[in-house]
Amino acid sequence: MNEKIKKEKNQEIFNNFEFVDKALFFPKKEILVIGDLHIGYDRMLEDLGVYFPKSLAKETISNLKKIFKKIKSEGKNIKKIVFLGDIKHAFYFERKERDDFLDVYEFLKKYFKEENIILIRGNHDTIDYLGGKIKAIHIEEEIAFLHGHKIYNEIFSKKIKYVVLAHLHPSIILKDKVKTEEYKCFLVGNYKEKTFIILPSFLEIFEGTSVNEYKYGYDENFSIIPHKKILDFYVYVIGEDKTYFFGKIKDLI
Amino acid sequence: MTKILKARERNAEEIKKILHPIVKEWFFSKFKEFSLTQKYGVLPIWERKNILISAETGGTKTLTAFLSILNYLVHLAEKQKLEDKVYAVYTSPLKALSNDIHKNLIEPLKEIEEIAEKKGVKLQKIRVGLRTGDTTPSERTKMLKNPPHILITTPESLAIILSSKNFVKHMNSVEFCIVDEIHSLDNKRGAHLSLTLERLNEISSQWPVKIGLSATIEPMEEVALFLVGIDNSRKIEIARVVLNKKIDVEVLTPVKNIIEDEEIHHKMYELIYKLVKQHKTTLIFTNTRSATERVVNFLKEKFPTEIGEEDIAAHHSSLSKKHRFEIEEKLRQGKLKVVVCSTSLELGIDIGYIDLVIMLGSPKSSSRALQRIGRSGHKLHEIPKGRFIVLDRDDLVECCIIQKEITERKINKIKFPKNCLDVLSQQIFGMAIHKVWHEEELFNLIKKSYCYHELTRKDFLDVISYLSGEYSLEKNHVYGKIWYDPKTKQIGKRGKLARVIYLTNLGTIPEESYINVKIAGSDEFIGVIDETFLSRMKQGDVFVLGGKKYLYRYTRGMNLYVTPEIKRNPTIPSWFSEMLPLSFDSALEINKFRKLMRKKLELGHSKEKILNFIKSYLYVPKETAEAIYNYFLEQHSFLEIPHENLFLIEKFNDQGKKYLIFHSLYGRRVNDALSRAFGYVIGLLGGRDIEIGISDNGFYISGEKMMINRALKEINEKNIEEILKEAIERTDVLVRRFRHCAVRALMILRSYKGKSKSVGRQQLKSHFLFSTVKKISKEFPILREARREVLEDLMDLENAKKVISWIEKGKIKVKILDTEIPSPFALNLILQGHSDLIRIEDKQAFLKRMHELHLQKILKKAEENE
Repeated sequence: MNEKIKKEKNQEIFNNFEFVDKALFFPKKEILVIGDLHIGYDRMLEDLGVYFPKSLAKETISNLKKIFKKIKSEGKNIKKIVFLGDIKHAFYFERKERDDFLDVYEFLKKYFKEENIILIRGNHDTIDYLGGKIKAIHIEEEIAFLHGHKIYNEIFSKKIKYVVLAHLHPSIILKDKVKTEEYKCFLVGNYKEKTFIILPSFLEIFEGTSVNEYKYGYDENFSIIPHKKILDFYVYVIGEDKTYFFGKIKDLI
Repeated sequence: MTKILKARERNAEEIKKILHPIVKEWFFSKFKEFSLTQKYGVLPIWERKNILISAETGGTKTLTAFLSILNYLVHLAEKQKLEDKVYAVYTSPLKALSNDIHKNLIEPLKEIEEIAEKKGVKLQKIRVGLRTGDTTPSERTKMLKNPPHILITTPESLAIILSSKNFVKHMNSVEFCIVDEIHSLDNKRGAHLSLTLERLNEISSQWPVKIGLSATIEPMEEVALFLVGIDNSRKIEIARVVLNKKIDVEVLTPVKNIIEDEEIHHKMYELIYKLVKQHKTTLIFTNTRSATERVVNFLKEKFPTEIGEEDIAAHHSSLSKKHRFEIEEKLRQGKLKVVVCSTSLELGIDIGYIDLVIMLGSPKSSSRALQRIGRSGHKLHEIPKGRFIVLDRDDLVECCIIQKEITERKINKIKFPKNCLDVLSQQIFGMAIHKVWHEEELFNLIKKSYCYHELTRKDFLDVISYLSGEYSLEKNHVYGKIWYDPKTKQIGKRGKLARVIYLTNLGTIPEESYINVKIAGSDEFIGVIDETFLSRMKQGDVFVLGGKKYLYRYTRGMNLYVTPEIKRNPTIPSWFSEMLPLSFDSALEINKFRKLMRKKLELGHSKEKILNFIKSYLYVPKETAEAIYNYFLEQHSFLEIPHENLFLIEKFNDQGKKYLIFHSLYGRRVNDALSRAFGYVIGLLGGRDIEIGISDNGFYISGEKMMINRALKEINEKNIEEILKEAIERTDVLVRRFRHCAVRALMILRSYKGKSKSVGRQQLKSHFLFSTVKKISKEFPILREARREVLEDLMDLENAKKVISWIEKGKIKVKILDTEIPSPFALNLILQGHSDLIRIEDKQAFLKRMHELHLQKILKKAEENE
């Protein structure tokens, strides 16, 4: 690989975090971060008349298990887990959705102490099924975790080096002459002297919003990062075995 | 097995005997004598025999069907014995059926009543009711109180009625059931209707006599079985009414030399104008919606004084119902000089006086051509007049062959789809709403339908499992549609909403999803394109919409943003999914002609001798024969002429791109199957994706490593179906068809809880549902149905198998030849561009390859910056 790209990659200080499938892991701090879950999305579809013969909550649990296993197999430990908001989907109380949510939560309790399960409020988390557990922002020394639909001044404090968010559901569309495929991706970039890391949605069936179109169709109202800045963010595409570096958004083909 | 009998012509005296004096008086006040169709049809219906009547348009079919029924009802009405029930059901797949019914039923009834009144005969009122998707709730309530004696409806509304809570009680002793336009039901609508008819039989305490009305169609025996179902106790008569109507038909070319004259389009409009001027009302068929608009605009622009705004109209299925109706009305009133349509005016509503039918481009089959030409000279003794206008040489040969078939009355065959599991799901759901069934009873009823006669118990039980929610992993959460008790083997409806869901979601015609095309920056709306068309494009592509070129900029949700593009040529061929496929029968005729031509050229016959042969064989004038002669001569001198016993494969390179061109003239549907089978096997052998292009006359495959000889050995009659199943597994078309099937099987509801939603399309990309279902079971019944639909309805697996078997048996010889440039016969195929891709490379391999490409690009950029 070209020296220059290597240099650029090193700037991202990769020794502090790593990508594990669709999740982000801070090995030194032993914190695992998970993007939008949208539990209850299948319920909503059912409600709209789409027969969806699978429970997404179960799928979420099995995908989380896989990630836990992978990290542990590398001899690393996970102490804390942070969910970056939009944990649930419906904007109102939904009994079946709450049941699904509690199933996932019960599962997590087997792995983590309750105080180490951090839930952050997203724009979909209008109801707190646990009553007071969900918070707007979580700060862990130099890392700030938030959903990404609203700005909190805490993230611009001097001690913060990393801002981790979800909300945008980034994905990339790759096309050649005859073929089109869509993949989830991470976005990493600098804004106000912090390193921002944007996670893809964790939900398998939510492919995402393609970053290829950010050049033309980026909605600043939907994001806390300005249009100009986001175009300089780097794209890391999630493959089966590893992530692939695709350069800056603005240079995408 | 159902017995099929031949109907015979009866004499007028016999018919007169059965007619009520008032009906007789009415009839002879309107007509001089019984038509031939009436001589065949009226008495069997009176005698309560099932009958299928086929006759060309203008054959007074509808009145034939109604005459005996009216006669019976008048008898009852006079005796004051008319009950409050439906005596006769008339169903037609046409939307605008009310006009035809007005002429053939309402008016006669009114006139009969008037005669009765004059004579002082007191008749009970005979009621006619129209029930379609547009019938308002208040009209329905009225109908419930005073049921019509004759119910006019569509296949879908009939199914709804049979699952209705209250109205169904009026349907429990229907005596007659007319199915009109039966020839147009060789699709899932037909499969749906075949089950609805069995449901009607089941509900009715007496056998509803079936009366089928059809245009000239083959095979009549199959159509008869479709109408009456399969059962030892059933019989049906077939009446092939041959009117010996003459047809005035001709193939025209706008210019003398089709390939060299660049003014061909210009001249085509002049030719159309000339023809229009010579006639009172001209109907033009263009085959596609986009061409319809184009022709209308051109004619208006080119002849603004002669063809004004008021003289011409476009008619196609994407126009609003109201708009179409207005045009039809104007036509009937003789106010229009020209009507241009895609295919929408093919079916038999009365459209008034038309004295010329022009077909731009081939109608693709003889029965379709006959149907179109039959739209002119709609009265019994007029000669229908049709003109084909052709713009390229393949079209020329094709139209001449079709003209020959029409002249010699060779009618191509239709086929009804069998065992459609999505339609079956919908119908079982409807039946479960009506009552509780025993498994055996339900299965037996379904098997009486011609379209489900060969249904296996496994398929049946799989559908039951799906409907009762068995396939789901989370039983308690999933919304099951019926309940099934394996102990008692009983089946019934589930949930309070079942009936509403059924009524609001019934039907078989898929909704397509469209993307809005807007000008970037201004948000100005230009038009819509098909969702699948969008998936074929990428940023920077140029495409044509409404005759103008646009550059793809970006998409957002259901919108595509573009900028007008003037200089560059389109990079994406215009979508041809709406193109009609050439019928297999006509294709075989062309192959036969090719062989005859090759022989004559090989024998060195003189030009004159060959011209004479063409003239007499194809019934064409000298200039046409000459154009055909030149085309064949070119191919003969350049390479050789493929034909019914010679399958030619051309190998050639275009700027490093390798092509294999298969001269497989079997129609698009067969070629779709063959090309994918070959493409898939060749792709597997080479390990890379393969591009394919398909037309009626052949197909090409393009890729990197192409081992054609090995592929030819690999594919045989026995394994082609399995190969194709694998080949289509990762295609967009399967995902798309799966979505259609999922909607028909009510997996995705179009309307739910009072809200009409397009969720299935907009929020849940169908491939997610597709992959989820695949994870549950690769053999999920609706997934199986989607595969069947692709292979049998979209493609033509049966005939593709036939072609492969001919190759295996040596009836067709395969010859592979290298060429520098494509031969004349191959040119059109190459020019039209690719139509699909066969994915061999999986998603991960593709990601890796694209990654390398991107890295190279980033690298280059980095170097440039230094």
